[in-house]
Amino acid sequence: MREPESSPRRLTALGILVALLMGILVVRLWQIQVLQGAHYLQLSEDNRVREYSLTAPRGVIYDRKGRPLVTNRPSFTVAILPLEMRAPDRILPRLSALLGMPVTEIQARIAAGQQRPFEPVRIRRDTSQAVVTRIEENRIDLPGVVILVEPVRVYLQGKMAAHLLGHLGEVSQAELAALRHKGYKPGDLIGKDGVERTYEWLLRGSDGRLRVEVDAMGRPLRVLARIPPTAGRSLVLTIDLDLQRAAYEALAGSRQPSGAVVALDPRTGDVLALVSLPSYDPNLFAVGISAGQWAALTGDRRYPLLNRAIGAAYEPGSVFKLVTAAAALEEGLATRGSVFYAPGFFRIGRYVWKDLGVWGNVNFITGIAHSINVVFYTLGYRLGGDRLAAYAGRMGVGVRTGIDLPGEAAGSIPSPATKQQLTGEPWYPGDAVNISIGQGAVTVTPMQAARLMALIASDGRQVRPRLLLMSMQGDGTMRARAPAVLGRVPFRASTFAILREGLVAAVERGTGQASKVPGLAVGGKTGSAENPRGKPHAWFAGYAPADRPSLVLVAFVEHGYRGGSTAAPIVRQVLTTAFPFPAGQETAP
Amino acid sequence: MNRRLLRFLDWPLLLVTLVLVAGGVVVLYSATQAAGTGPAFVKIRLIHAAVGLIALAILAATDYQMLASAWRPILVGTIVLLALVDVAGRSAMGAQRWISLGPLGGFQPSEVAKLALIIALAKLVEPRETWPWTAVGGLVLAAAVPAVLIVGQPDLGSTLVVVAIFAAVMFAGGAPARVLASLAVAGAAAVPLVWGLLRDYQRARLAVFLDPGIDPLGAGYALIQSKIAVGSGQLWGKGFLAGTQNLLHFIPEQHTDFIFTVIGEEFGFAGALIMLALFAVWVGRGLSIARSAKDRLGMLLAVGVVAMVAFHLFVNIGMTVGLMPITGIPLPFISHGGTALVVMLGSTGLLLSIGMRRKKILF
Repeated sequence: MREPESSPRRLTALGILVALLMGILVVRLWQIQVLQGAHYLQLSEDNRVREYSLTAPRGVIYDRKGRPLVTNRPSFTVAILPLEMRAPDRILPRLSALLGMPVTEIQARIAAGQQRPFEPVRIRRDTSQAVVTRIEENRIDLPGVVILVEPVRVYLQGKMAAHLLGHLGEVSQAELAALRHKGYKPGDLIGKDGVERTYEWLLRGSDGRLRVEVDAMGRPLRVLARIPPTAGRSLVLTIDLDLQRAAYEALAGSRQPSGAVVALDPRTGDVLALVSLPSYDPNLFAVGISAGQWAALTGDRRYPLLNRAIGAAYEPGSVFKLVTAAAALEEGLATRGSVFYAPGFFRIGRYVWKDLGVWGNVNFITGIAHSINVVFYTLGYRLGGDRLAAYAGRMGVGVRTGIDLPGEAAGSIPSPATKQQLTGEPWYPGDAVNISIGQGAVTVTPMQAARLMALIASDGRQVRPRLLLMSMQGDGTMRARAPAVLGRVPFRASTFAILREGLVAAVERGTGQASKVPGLAVGGKTGSAENPRGKPHAWFAGYAPADRPSLVLVAFVEHGYRGGSTAAPIVRQVLTTAFPFPAGQETAP
Repeated sequence: MNRRLLRFLDWPLLLVTLVLVAGGVVVLYSATQAAGTGPAFVKIRLIHAAVGLIALAILAATDYQMLASAWRPILVGTIVLLALVDVAGRSAMGAQRWISLGPLGGFQPSEVAKLALIIALAKLVEPRETWPWTAVGGLVLAAAVPAVLIVGQPDLGSTLVVVAIFAAVMFAGGAPARVLASLAVAGAAAVPLVWGLLRDYQRARLAVFLDPGIDPLGAGYALIQSKIAVGSGQLWGKGFLAGTQNLLHFIPEQHTDFIFTVIGEEFGFAGALIMLALFAVWVGRGLSIARSAKDRLGMLLAVGVVAMVAFHLFVNIGMTVGLMPITGIPLPFISHGGTALVVMLGSTGLLLSIGMRRKKILF
């Protein structure tokens, strides 16, 4: 190895250079920290620049005809800047008296916001003008208390459209961990259910920032910089407000405590109405729900927050006979003209299934129209569990619809292979007989029942129910969404034709006569589903007009006893709204 | 590793490195806790530190001559990575510097490039006895390719680091005064070219350095606020987690490039002095290792690493106290940023490796 003669000298030079540079740093730090330190300390204490986030308004939600369902209004939020609260012992009781809010609750909110001491902690959203005025009058005694103007969500339809629109809530710790990189902060409101949750990403705008200079009292002196908030995208839903109102009033007017109504366009999957009872007022959540109201809602044994149209699955009862009928027609076990002997019971060995009436010889159409159990017992027994389950699956029973709402239940369809894990009991040959009329561990959501009816009404078209028609930006740019037609169930056209003939007959002369609207041809099926929890569930699933179906309606009443007498009249009432002049010119919704 | 090597392990260097990293975690917690993200940052920081210590151990155990003999693939690989950033990189603050590594954050090839360049330059300068213009041209090219890629990202700070490393290694390698002088002239002539490559915000930062008053709420804001933060710390500081400038979030990027403002505000002149003293020990040990290296290669490598750390230190602190323009360069061992920490610890490992294999003398 060579020994370069210059290197030790040059290394010394480098060492001196580094020492020099560090010396410069030390001198400079001495200068600003020690010599001018007091001056800079004064500057930092007078540093009365405050940064607030400006909450962006969420997008407005409209129905399909442009009528607003959810809007925003300005409101006053009382907030505290924790770092400017010099004497909380004196200020908090004053604030508590002004707001009529216990000191402990204010303290709890401040503690929750402690992670970000420079951000205002929101104490009370949507404060009345009177209270705000009194706070402003007492500003001198309330240093650190600020009033922010923020948009608040207004659900114009209240309880009528609660479950489909959903509600807001303060972002949870878990959500925050996942979403912090998208700019969510503690205390932010986020969609917790319904469309508000599914389309949170569209509805949420981006918050702006406001940099203001304030005086020693915390009063803003001048705005230094303002990044305006950007409003979220507006949504146009597939909902028809008229139908939604009619459905809500019909269901609520039936004086039944709980149930659901779904209206679907069988051609596109557009959800025209979605109602669930009991309901709640989403406006309660718009400003952060109080602890008492939250406890009342979640503690209610009737589960008002549950969206019964999609969030829970129920025994379908006789509505399921459509699956049995379709399977029998496709498998060649029945034709339009098949004749069945219905003596009032069905027997396999020593097991006997009873029927509601003695019919003698009946044809297939009458079997559907009068929902004659023995006809379907016979077919179900011949089809067997495997084939019944396969057809049920193809027609969407026990399969999520994929609707753009959170919390959809799957429902279930037992088969010899799956019954054991579904119910814990082994498969018996008689199970196929039970399933054929929609009993025995078969469950569907009302939305699935609507999809099943849409499938039959549209010759097998498979649609994914949807709530979003299009979204719009403030500048008017629109993004429309194409309807999701997934395919077609490849049954023979005659199968659907025969089923529809039976459904029209059911309304004309069978079990569904209570849904009859003069001048309008309607097809539909009733269901009265026995269940282990109480009186049977009442179902009616129908469509209209019978020759060119443009509307599918499902009414479900939990423990409503009889589909024909409880659910069918609800559907009739909605139909009269959807088709106000059925005898004259047809007006599709 | 045999026992002779361990006997020559530079314990003071290792110790001050560990103290700097540990202190950095404390400061980083303070810088990020106001945003409620302190624990998360500390957790990621500890993971980065663990990776960095592994890099340190590996580089210390590796014979640096072996490492340097692989300079070609190292340099080419780095250039490929830098080019990749332009394709797959993630943009932060308008600068495309990262390649995403999922939960571990972004991988910043420009940091790795600094160490790769030290290795390549040291290996190229090592055999140099005479300094014909063709050889000088080759050296300039080896440094210029990564430098141009980095400045285009755009990362002005890291580009300046490359220039500093180049100058230090050339100087220590014995380049004659005429070569150094002409390189300085050529560098000055390239300034307008670089100015053309800069983004508007970078030009604004440089203009603001000359007169912070021209834009007190935009580009000048960070400069003014960081000076207030450091100055208001006075002699003893406002105390851990008690810096109002820090808590009120007056300083943008306070956990990365402006982390020194937290030290200055919360621990005062005394704290800053302790930190500078630790760095002085670090740099002093590095230069001592350069001096006692068993060969020219070891000396040049050590000089390159020392130049890198010293330059980072001076430019970073200099910009928070208004001595240097804001260029976006991390404080070694302390600023948030995993790649930088791993590279700094790896470079320390390289220094330790050179020190352990020093001249057989004395004893």
